[in-house]
Amino acid sequence: MDAPPANEKRISRFLEQSHERIFDNNKKWVEEMKIDDPEFFDKLASGQSPEYLYIGCSDSRIPANQIMGLGPGDVFIHRNIANLVPNTDLSAMSVINYAVRHLHVKHIIVCGHYGCGGIAAAMTPADLGILNPWLRNIRDVYRLHEAELDEITDEKEKNNRLVELNVFEQARNVIKLAAIQQSYAENHYPIVHGWVFDLHDGLLKDLKVDFEKELAGIQKIYNLTK
Amino acid sequence: MSILSRFRSFVYSCIGLGRSKAFSTVAQMDAFEKVLAGNKAYAQHTAKKDPELMKSLAAGQSPEILWIGCADSRIPETTICQCKPGELFVHRNIANVLTPGDANSSSVIEYSVGVLKVKRIIVCGHTKCGGANAAMGDGDLGDTLNSWLAPVRELRRKHIDELSKLPSEDAKANRLAELNVEHSLEILRKNPTVQKAIRERDLKLHGMIYDIPAAELRSMDIPEPKQLWSPPTLHR
Repeated sequence: MDAPPANEKRISRFLEQSHERIFDNNKKWVEEMKIDDPEFFDKLASGQSPEYLYIGCSDSRIPANQIMGLGPGDVFIHRNIANLVPNTDLSAMSVINYAVRHLHVKHIIVCGHYGCGGIAAAMTPADLGILNPWLRNIRDVYRLHEAELDEITDEKEKNNRLVELNVFEQARNVIKLAAIQQSYAENHYPIVHGWVFDLHDGLLKDLKVDFEKELAGIQKIYNLTK
Repeated sequence: MSILSRFRSFVYSCIGLGRSKAFSTVAQMDAFEKVLAGNKAYAQHTAKKDPELMKSLAAGQSPEILWIGCADSRIPETTICQCKPGELFVHRNIANVLTPGDANSSSVIEYSVGVLKVKRIIVCGHTKCGGANAAMGDGDLGDTLNSWLAPVRELRRKHIDELSKLPSEDAKANRLAELNVEHSLEILRKNPTVQKAIRERDLKLHGMIYDIPAAELRSMDIPEPKQLWSPPTLHR
């Protein structure tokens, strides 16, 4: 993106242009898609049947479809601060519920990223007002893995490990839900995955969450299949 | 064929995902690992095309726009607007509903407006919205979704006179999607952090509808509501 002009008076014009650009870009994209497949948008209009639900961070640097090489219609998406799945959060619960029970997605991906601002904010000893309850979920992840994280002395490394552990815990939070347990018992899907995106090289790292093992592990306490 | 569509075709052939191809090997990992292969193609392509972008993205983000949209798979915001990574901070939930008590969206708004200082917020609804469609009906969607869509059903109740005059179910759901965007903007305008940003640095709010059959974004003309409550501290 071009740097905003320094001249104060020109800034508002610059902003207008950056806004209008979105509409221009949208028109260009439609033309391109129609060259590939003239009926593409008619097909989309008839409904969605995505194979994937992606739960990722709101961070502007991680456009979910593009990093996975997927197009419109392929992936149902929820994005929030630090890709959290708190069990009392009606928003995330509704997304997962709809994706599993109505769209019958086959894979659920929880995707974090190194250098996450939400994780860094949660590691800052400060009152952040309305953000406190949300970030509290991340602090709870730290507490669950306190011994391991305390061992890491490098600040950046510690945060990056917390990013990974947060993905693990949020993937577990997904697996704890009734919709997932019941669908899996009946259909053998969805499968829950944990990934981390690296901004330095654009690559996704699969944390290899062992879905069946995790499911069996949580069901001692969180079994909601019946 | 443009570079972008060539790249897209390349990725699709690479990961073997036809857009309507049946997903037969559910429990097997092959198809899944192909998505990771798609990512490798993305990473290589981006590094080659714009190595500087990659470097600057790793250093931090300063998006100008907060995009609040629907979780619907047919509206990949960065793709439909041909934006670059780094340009849109994104929150997507079922039917782009905003309520003041929702910690999820409130946290997104607080972080993007208060910390990242985005210059615009776009609330984008869409035609053919499953959420708006469901809210036009009285079907039982289960406790979770019934609760989530209650504010949209409430909008239906408030505007039932206008909605009932519309000729088709499609038109009704589309109008409800518009009313929902309007309502979300009102919720935003009541948010103290948003009010402060409007007052102090002219943050702009926009309502949009994405028309899925035409794949086009339409900007809505929404009048500013009057006499909203704001904390007295803002006026000092």
